[in-house]
Amino acid sequence: MKKVKLSKLYILAASCVLLSSLLIYKLSYSQNTEQPKTQQNEQPVTDCFESREGYTSVTRVENVAPKHGFPNVKCSQTTGGVLWWGDAYDGTIPMGEMPICGDYTCGSYEKGEDAVVRPREPQLKYFNLNPEQHCAFCHNGKMVPFPKNKKPRLLAAHQDIVADSLQLMHGRAAFWCLDCHSATNRNRLIDHWGNEISFNQPQKLCGKCHGEVYIDWRMGIHGKRTGMWVKGGKKRWWVCTECHNPHTVQTNRFNPLKPEPAPALPKGMKNADHEQSEHGLHKEPSLSSAPANPSTGH
Amino acid sequence: MSEEKKEIANNIPVPASLKQGEEENKNRRDFLKDMGAAALVGAAALLTNSDDIEAKSTWAEWFQKNYRLMSDEEKKEAIARLEQRYSEEYGKNVTVDNVPAMKGVLFGYALNIQKCIGCRRCVHACVKENNQSRNNPEIQWIRVIRMEKGNFSLEDTDKGYPAGSGYKSGDNTSYGVQVGGNAYKDSGVVLEGQHYYQPENVPEKDAFYFPIQCMQCEKPPCVKVCPVRATYRDPDGIVVIDYNWCIGCRMCQSACPYWARRFNWGDPNLPKEEMNPNTHYLGNRPRVRGVMEKCTFCLQRTRKGRYTSCVEVCPVGARKFGNLLDPESEVRKILDKKKVFRLKADLNTYPKFFYFID
Repeated sequence: MKKVKLSKLYILAASCVLLSSLLIYKLSYSQNTEQPKTQQNEQPVTDCFESREGYTSVTRVENVAPKHGFPNVKCSQTTGGVLWWGDAYDGTIPMGEMPICGDYTCGSYEKGEDAVVRPREPQLKYFNLNPEQHCAFCHNGKMVPFPKNKKPRLLAAHQDIVADSLQLMHGRAAFWCLDCHSATNRNRLIDHWGNEISFNQPQKLCGKCHGEVYIDWRMGIHGKRTGMWVKGGKKRWWVCTECHNPHTVQTNRFNPLKPEPAPALPKGMKNADHEQSEHGLHKEPSLSSAPANPSTGH
Repeated sequence: MSEEKKEIANNIPVPASLKQGEEENKNRRDFLKDMGAAALVGAAALLTNSDDIEAKSTWAEWFQKNYRLMSDEEKKEAIARLEQRYSEEYGKNVTVDNVPAMKGVLFGYALNIQKCIGCRRCVHACVKENNQSRNNPEIQWIRVIRMEKGNFSLEDTDKGYPAGSGYKSGDNTSYGVQVGGNAYKDSGVVLEGQHYYQPENVPEKDAFYFPIQCMQCEKPPCVKVCPVRATYRDPDGIVVIDYNWCIGCRMCQSACPYWARRFNWGDPNLPKEEMNPNTHYLGNRPRVRGVMEKCTFCLQRTRKGRYTSCVEVCPVGARKFGNLLDPESEVRKILDKKKVFRLKADLNTYPKFFYFID
């Protein structure tokens, strides 16, 4: 009888241990599974960049069209780029005076067309250090004296924009900051006729030298437009600096992008090795070994 | 032998109705009649039971006509039915338009092959816009192929043959029969490339990228082979599919020389929050299992004047879209100014998708 009782006790104890361990396991399991989920739910990518990273960005707003319930943008969760625009004109302002229209350059874009741009000024770091006077707060002729000539020199500031000012990576050392930036009004750009140009309209400046590309851009062949394709429809024109960094064009025309994920492999396929050049597709065949054993050559 | 055959014939079980006389046949007819009546009763029950929307709409969808043969009234009914069903299923206000082709518009597409960096943003923008199945099966309408840079030179075309086989250059037994491509080198094969490339960053130095999607052919082979005419070409040049009429035979898929068509092998998997509620009957409305789908140049957008989703997302501006009948449009300017080619132009499919270089 004693033996039986003991064994019963053992069983009870064992089952208790089992149960508690199960409970602990379950708890830890649920913690493990919940953690990544909540992380995903809490921090989906909602700030995404438009064309190049660290430039213009958009913040996702839910229910931009409350009737239908779609957001203004959809962001890529893997690369953080904008994938889809619900509102193509998010954060834009009118382009203002249309660029000069030549015989051939006018395209379908006549006067009074609804063209908008994403303003550049709100995105500029130094420009917005002082919200009222902008660059002129420092570059007022006193705190930072106006330069006397256009001779290249080492910069005391802004090395983050131009790392080595003696090797300006635009124009192959043929010109200097002040060929584009106004010497006396740093809030503005300047062209070689002395016209002051807003940072929001860089095309007016760039087009002065890069005429051929400018003509293409003006026609809609070069660069990007979003919005309406129809004649006279509202379009967002993407301006030069939204894709090109004028300070590094020579060495680093575009920052490389991280690609979006590849399509799923067909069912049953383990990897995509068959596409690689090792399998003889793009590899120069070794002529000496091929005739000896054709099966290894492929 | 003949007796043996007879024996075998006798051993095969014959349906009772065939063995017996006319009386039984009559009974069969009655039985079928009864069945028909029962089916009608069932149908009536389905139709009158207004609570069961799904059953009702399924019934109506089974008996709806080909989209092109439907009257305006029938189209309206079908659309109202779909809107109700989708709105319920996806928990948002889903609209299904049937905006017809604009007059005087023929859609054309141009892609700057020199600029494409292979980032695949267009692929995923398309999925976000067009309500494709997200996983299992994963469906994407655009494919981007990575191709290694190289030269297609005449000298290479006869390289790689075993010595003395008669194909090697300089060999007197060379007959010059085969040009490009052999067992050892695929120099003559077109469109070989990599679909599943995944480098750290794009573009890569030694590669170029080649996006392919539906070319909206003027003479589409897919339309020619469709046995039920579920796919056809609209006046604005878009080859569309009536998803309700498609029988899923996949003939079009094998006919398409551009690998543009995708088949729903399983039930499409579209999360509620991912669903794009702006849909078109012939475009991006949610599909079902067993139907074909493909790029429609985002006709739910473009027929209302908006750019396609892939044009808007391209970070390098390689994609251009417009009206081929308007000489001032972006695509026409490209055709005027740039060097343009069409994929597999030799097949006389007359694609409306142009590749160009600066």
